[in-house]
Amino acid sequence: MTSLLSVRGVDRTFGQGPAAVHALRDVSFDVEAGTMVALVGRSGSGKTTLLNVVGGLDRPDTGTVVVDGTEVTGLDDDGLSKLRREKATYVFQTFGLIPVLSAAENVGVPLRMARVPLKERERRVELLLDLVGLADHARHRPDEMSGGQQQRVAIARALAASPKLLIADEPTGQLDAETGLAVMALLRGVVESEGVTVLLSTHDPVMMALADRVLRMHDGQVHA
Amino acid sequence: MLALLVRRVRTQWPVLAALLALLAIGATVAGACALLVTRTGEQALESVATKGTADEVKATAYTVQVAPARSASVAADTRAVLTEAFAPFPISTSVRASSRTRVLKSAPQANGLPAETYLSGMDGLESRAALVTGRWPRAGAAPVESVLLETTARMLGIRVGQRVLLGQEKAFDGAPAVEVTVVGTVRPLPATGWERDTLGGIGYEVGFFSDGSSDQPVLAYGPFIVDLSDLFATASLMDRLEVVAVPDMRGADVRELNAAVSRLGDADRLLARRLGDRVSIHRVDARLVVTMAQAREQRRVAAAVVVAVAVLGCGLAAAALVLAGRLTSEVRADETALLSALGVSRGQFAAAAGVETAVLAVIAALIAVPASAALHSALTHLPPLAGAGLATGPVVTATQLAAVAGGALALAVVLAVLTIRPVVAPGERHRRAELVARSGVDLLLVAFAAIGWWQLAGQPDVATTRTDVVRVAAPALILTAGAALALRVVPPALRGLDRLARRARGLVLPLAAFEAARRPHAVAAGLLVSLACAAGTFGVAFSATWERSQHDQADLAVGTDLRAAVTGLASAGDGPAIAAATGGSVSPAADRGVGIGQWTGGAAQPPRLVATDMGRAGDLLRGRLPEGRSWSRVGASLAPRDRVDGVAVPAGAALTISGTATGDVPILVSPRLVLQDSTTGLRSTCIGDRVLLDGATHRLPDCATTAGQQLVAIALPITPDPAAELAETATTSVAVTVTMPGPATGPAWTATSTPPFESQLSDPKVTADGSRLTMSAGVQLVSSQAAARTLMASTFGDPGPVPVAIAARVADELGIGRGARLSMPMGITPVPMAVAEIVPEVPAAPGTPAVLADIDTLSRSLILRGDLRYPADAWWVAHPARAGAAERVTALHLGQVTARDATAARLIGSPPRAGVTPALRLLVLVAALLLLADVILHVSSDLRVRAVEVARLRGLGVTRREVRAMLLGQHAGVLLPLLIAGVLVGALATRIVAPPMVRAETGAAPIPAAFGIWPWAAEAAFLGVVVVSCLLALTVVVIAQTRRADAAHLRVAT
Repeated sequence: MTSLLSVRGVDRTFGQGPAAVHALRDVSFDVEAGTMVALVGRSGSGKTTLLNVVGGLDRPDTGTVVVDGTEVTGLDDDGLSKLRREKATYVFQTFGLIPVLSAAENVGVPLRMARVPLKERERRVELLLDLVGLADHARHRPDEMSGGQQQRVAIARALAASPKLLIADEPTGQLDAETGLAVMALLRGVVESEGVTVLLSTHDPVMMALADRVLRMHDGQVHA
Repeated sequence: MLALLVRRVRTQWPVLAALLALLAIGATVAGACALLVTRTGEQALESVATKGTADEVKATAYTVQVAPARSASVAADTRAVLTEAFAPFPISTSVRASSRTRVLKSAPQANGLPAETYLSGMDGLESRAALVTGRWPRAGAAPVESVLLETTARMLGIRVGQRVLLGQEKAFDGAPAVEVTVVGTVRPLPATGWERDTLGGIGYEVGFFSDGSSDQPVLAYGPFIVDLSDLFATASLMDRLEVVAVPDMRGADVRELNAAVSRLGDADRLLARRLGDRVSIHRVDARLVVTMAQAREQRRVAAAVVVAVAVLGCGLAAAALVLAGRLTSEVRADETALLSALGVSRGQFAAAAGVETAVLAVIAALIAVPASAALHSALTHLPPLAGAGLATGPVVTATQLAAVAGGALALAVVLAVLTIRPVVAPGERHRRAELVARSGVDLLLVAFAAIGWWQLAGQPDVATTRTDVVRVAAPALILTAGAALALRVVPPALRGLDRLARRARGLVLPLAAFEAARRPHAVAAGLLVSLACAAGTFGVAFSATWERSQHDQADLAVGTDLRAAVTGLASAGDGPAIAAATGGSVSPAADRGVGIGQWTGGAAQPPRLVATDMGRAGDLLRGRLPEGRSWSRVGASLAPRDRVDGVAVPAGAALTISGTATGDVPILVSPRLVLQDSTTGLRSTCIGDRVLLDGATHRLPDCATTAGQQLVAIALPITPDPAAELAETATTSVAVTVTMPGPATGPAWTATSTPPFESQLSDPKVTADGSRLTMSAGVQLVSSQAAARTLMASTFGDPGPVPVAIAARVADELGIGRGARLSMPMGITPVPMAVAEIVPEVPAAPGTPAVLADIDTLSRSLILRGDLRYPADAWWVAHPARAGAAERVTALHLGQVTARDATAARLIGSPPRAGVTPALRLLVLVAALLLLADVILHVSSDLRVRAVEVARLRGLGVTRREVRAMLLGQHAGVLLPLLIAGVLVGALATRIVAPPMVRAETGAAPIPAAFGIWPWAAEAAFLGVVVVSCLLALTVVVIAQTRRADAAHLRVAT
């Protein structure tokens, strides 16, 4: 299988001098296409920083990140935005839905960014909401939905742009166990049905079982 | 708790600084307005008194029928009363007195009418009259020395050096006859009080004159002017004795002024007590009392506007504080929740909030005191306050301190209430905001505003104190209600935008539209934006409305560009002199009180006649007319169709007169020539000596003293020699020839017998032959009617009823319309008139039942009815081209000069009213500042709350540029409708509130009525500054916020 994501020798330090925090230390790993990889580790181990570096939200001090053949570390700000629109989309722990938009409108955000025509946009939004089981919640605002429903909308939004890589930072962190499991099952299903590669962080052992591969992080380093 | 407060100050200083700034702004506005109303108001009153003209501050004590031999003591006691009343201000006094009339047997008589005269004396005669011949009278001479007005001397045929016996006084036990020596002739100087002379300084009254002592009409001549001490020594009964006191009010302060005004108000009573029965009637006319009363009225009108501005300014500050208080609560929400969880009670929160707001209020007050003093000082250094001489340095007064403290306290209470109030969750706030709107608070405001407007619109035309409250409250109520109502209008507009955005393809603008339409917006923020914008635009427009109304009032009050009232009669040389001084177009004009038929209009508003050259009405007349009407059109319907031409009489040319009469009775004629100035159309009457119609040729006086004179009429009053005995049926035929210096055959002459007793003459004729003009008629010599027989030759015919334009109030009062016929007595001559036009107001006579006529037509009608006196008593100038035209005309010493632009400047910038414009400027400034503060506070708070959301958008792949565009679009989308709504509210308020807010300087409704002005350029400038400032602030905040929205925020969020 081919590698969709390649991380090599990534370092990231916050602050300087004695107060410096080494969030990532010589991190290197590959993720094959169509797999679900879980990053596990305690709080402060560097999971979120690594996901941010992979998604281009943060820049490493050293090292390279290549997503689907695109070297992320070499992209400028617009290039990184383009990467997040087209190849590496995010699912946030707190869902990150835009409060004033309905579920359908939230899902339609990436399609609007891609300037997809109205009819096509509506069709795809309907499909995606159906995929996450929320077709009948299309007009609901985030504050009218449960946490699980919101996260499913967030996943549908992340899938709307047909990304190669879906980055999810603690996607079940705000959910109860049952709902969290349902969300993980959804992600697993997406990997299976859509062939999307998923890189997620979690510290829930139950969730790890659904992953194809688990990368353990400790003190800014990755251990297979 | 104290530690908590100190820590809060350290960590939340930007928020606290914003709160402090808003408190300080509100208190500063209150303090500055208090200073404008009190300190500047008092200065204005002092300025009115100290810089007022003598006519504005003087007091005149009139006494009537002063007992013989008591005149000197009455004058001295009157002086003493006035001196006490004006104390501590020094006064200079002058006395003028006229005696009861005496028989003047040596005067020529007409039809048996007796001739009378009177003595007069005055202080400062040399400054009131110009010596023409002879010398000034000396005091103590025997016989008494006197001077005569040159017209009187000519009429009576008296020469310098001649002794004249003035008969016994016409009173019971009247003073005996007195002989005077005429030592000179004088000419009255304008604006020196001759209008108060018994004969107005004219010198004679050859018509029917009654001195009031009997029903018998008399011929009056005079006065014989003697030294005042000589006058008092004659033991004459003084018909009039007046003492004029002019105070020197330099350095006056309000307290002294009030005391003087109070004593002057009581001066009548004091005078009565002091003079006792030495006089029959007494009255003190204290102009200072009137001037100060008017100034206080003006100050009251201005104060109402200034206080209205203060109310609006503090209202704006309160709205800004509501917003800032809410934001503060949001900032402290987590802290409050934590402390609450730790067991801090609500009372403790309230105590902390109370201490904090009290400290803020004290600091704000400490800032506001010097700030308001400095702001007030800065405002007074701007026009029109600076122009009114009211510029002052920073001052601190008790009233200002009270206003600042009160303002800071009131605003602090608002803040404290907000701070203590439990924090509302965003979703709940949305519901609460809607609830507020739905609860009808805004509708209640609208109801109050409607009541305010109803009261404002229904305020009486006259000045009342009740309307001040309405004028203070109504603008704030109406603007607030309008702004609150506008909040209801904005959401539907944004929802329309939302619907459009849903179908759009892209993300940035649609998302901005969604955010603008769906995100709950703080009611206070929205209210403040629309209210500040409404207040600012209203301030700009009200300022323009106020100034325009003052100009309109000045236009109508003056009636033309420049007006020079003439003391006595206008003379032919005045016009060219005024034209040369001003470079404008000059016309003689009349402006006098008249009766209209039997209607005298009531005591308060007697009818007035205004007449000038209606052929140039478009140029000459000023004053707003309804749309579609112009003074040119009005003038066209009043102007004569043809102009009058006469026989040219070069300056200094000699005319002669000769005549014959049939029968044995010697016949006398008193020739009067009417000359017309070819430039201005002014007609002057030249009176020749009486001549006997014995065939001899007599030279007429040099009537034409200036070039360009034309002879247009000759009147020949015909009388038999008084010494002759007449048979019951005595008649005669007269033929009189006037020889001209040139051909008399140019114009078409007509001959008439003048009313009212035309039948006294028969077959009047006139023929022109070469340079000779011969008039003839048969004359009935005996009649029971005491009437003159006047043969008139003129180069014009009877114009018939004089076409006039009447003021609408005349039409309303008399129930007449176009085509109605009127009769207007001019002196004793009834002039028929026909109503050709009805106008809202007549120029130069606003608010009065006035009639407008063409002066030439009026003059023709008067001449042909035997009244040769040209009706002009003023000169009107259109389009004066030379700088300082008014001062140049004043220097001609013709009389009082009034300029339209100077009147407008006085109305706008007179000291008591000069505070209005700066107060409105202050309102505009405060509105703009608070609007900007509101935008910055609201946007920065909103972006701070949404920092994570912005970071997530970045995480979804939205570029910084797109985020910026989205945020800018969103906030602009909310701001612009609010601004537009504010502009609409401001425009509406300008239309319905501004006009009734404008008052005349008397405190009454202005004439013409004010109408709202929307100064597009000034409004565009204000809105441009506001919008650009807001967008600039918005952009800076958005850019800063977007830069901060990075992975760090996501980390916090996740």
